Amino acid sequence: MPHRLCQPGAPPCNFKVILLSQIARKGVGKIQRLIDEIAKENTQLKEEIQRLEAELQEATRNSQIKEDIPETKVKFTSLENPENDSQFLNISCSFQVSSQVLYELQKGQGLITFEKEEVAQNIIRMGKHHVQINDVDVEVLAQPVPLNSGIRFQVLEEYSKVKINVTEIPDVLPEDQMRDKLELSFSKSINGGGEVLCVQYDKKSRSAVITFVETGVADKILKKKDFPLYINQNCYRVTVSPYTETHLKHFQVFLGISERTVLLTGMEDLQMTDEELLQDLVNIHFQRETNGGGEVEVVKCSLGQPCIAYFEEERNRMI
Amino acid sequence: MDDAALGALREEQARLKSRLQELQKQRGALGDPARDQVPFGVPAIPLVFRGHTQQGQEAPKCLVSKVRICYPLPGGSALITFDDPNVAERVLQRKEHEIRVEECRLRVQVQALELPVVTSIQVSTQVSRQSVLVSGFPAGLQLSEEELLDKLEIFFGKTRNGGGDVETRELLRGGVVLGFAKDAVAQYLCQVGDFTVPLGSQKFPLRVSPYLSGAIQKAEIEVRPVPRSVLVLNIPDVLDGPELQDILEIHFQKPSRGGGEVESLRVVPPGQRGLAVFTATSG
Repeated sequence: MPHRLCQPGAPPCNFKVILLSQIARKGVGKIQRLIDEIAKENTQLKEEIQRLEAELQEATRNSQIKEDIPETKVKFTSLENPENDSQFLNISCSFQVSSQVLYELQKGQGLITFEKEEVAQNIIRMGKHHVQINDVDVEVLAQPVPLNSGIRFQVLEEYSKVKINVTEIPDVLPEDQMRDKLELSFSKSINGGGEVLCVQYDKKSRSAVITFVETGVADKILKKKDFPLYINQNCYRVTVSPYTETHLKHFQVFLGISERTVLLTGMEDLQMTDEELLQDLVNIHFQRETNGGGEVEVVKCSLGQPCIAYFEEERNRMI
Repeated sequence: MDDAALGALREEQARLKSRLQELQKQRGALGDPARDQVPFGVPAIPLVFRGHTQQGQEAPKCLVSKVRICYPLPGGSALITFDDPNVAERVLQRKEHEIRVEECRLRVQVQALELPVVTSIQVSTQVSRQSVLVSGFPAGLQLSEEELLDKLEIFFGKTRNGGGDVETRELLRGGVVLGFAKDAVAQYLCQVGDFTVPLGSQKFPLRVSPYLSGAIQKAEIEVRPVPRSVLVLNIPDVLDGPELQDILEIHFQKPSRGGGEVESLRVVPPGQRGLAVFTATSG
């Protein structure tokens, strides 16, 4: 069918032009499709980038751990010589903190600790064990104990015997002058002060750290919560508090692994309530070499309430 | 016009792809945070169940051990620990004590012994940008701490091994933390992951992974008295060490002077300095 542009009475048409424009239109369509495709790909890429950025931010953000330190009673052990000035000018307190690693024993589960690691590993390798409990053949499964990961670190706290923190200092004088006033007031022995070695004053935070020459002055001043600061005719009460520095060392995440303790499961359907009896029977079974066992240190089974079992570090082991 | 648009889009795609690759590398270095398990390279500590259990849900979340408090003692002072805390309390009721030495009297001051104790702590953790954890050490390695740290610093300090200047090194249980001057070195080492490192006469396969570091945000401290101990201060310089020790012990054991059975008495002679060490009582 002739092209409408070539109808009789129509202006003379250039078939080549028509053909070219048709090709051009198809070409434009093709480019447009390509543009759309690439634009779509780019959008997807942007989304994936956003997702990864968010994930990375999650992984690297700060996470906070707050722990209450249980009280430990201490007693005098020995008298030593301080090795350096820092040891003499501070009361230092160091201790190790580590996460409690535990396993929540469910009903029908038990934990058995063998004396030898090889025995424990063998029992796990054997997998299923047939244990006679009150004339019933119970299929008990032995597995490694899944333990949580924890953190451990050492804390060193130094409590100064010669420095004190001073806060709530009124902002009424230029820096240099205030420093002098602080030194003067804290030197007055009549108020419990003593010879001052140096004053670090921060006008912006209205606080200062005062270092005394002698130990003992800080203790006396800290018996009260405030101290008189004399500026011209006025007396201001500034707040005093101990100066301490706390450091963290040897921070690490660790994974607890149990080498001698094995998890036993499969005892949920037992019609008994005497845990001690069950423990004895399990103990007897797994002591026998013929059953693949060996010397047993401890057995604990739960027949009712879930119970928390604490895992402790192996003594006399070195990594 | 469309060509220009197409060109711009293609350029944008090239940039996006390269950014995506970079992020994927970073994420690969971190390990998979979506997994429940701890990333590879976490040292394992052997633990054992010894029979300690607790009914119910109240488990303390952390264990405190190796408590050691060092208290400086000035010259001319003494630290007395009584058997009975009530005796200590009684002795402290008088700030000054007069000690009879033949015809003379020594005036000394007594003071309660108070120790600062950390009651709670807040730690923030973050995956370190400049430090890495090296793990996978074989058991029974016959190297001292210093030797091991030196050998690791030597190996990972070389750029031809992929390393760089080592700024810090620390031995932990089952691993060593190395801190580098350049972040890029730490990142690269984590990406590579596995290295064969000479430790002495042999080479061993070791693993390098990101290190989760901790910093103290806040520590709450309370000052608590030691119930059975008393500080004696400002002892005049008139007697020799052993004599002074005897005189003080005799005085503070006398019930008539408010004293009682003395568990230990240590003197720091005038002109010297002492450090009294306190450790946890068992149980």
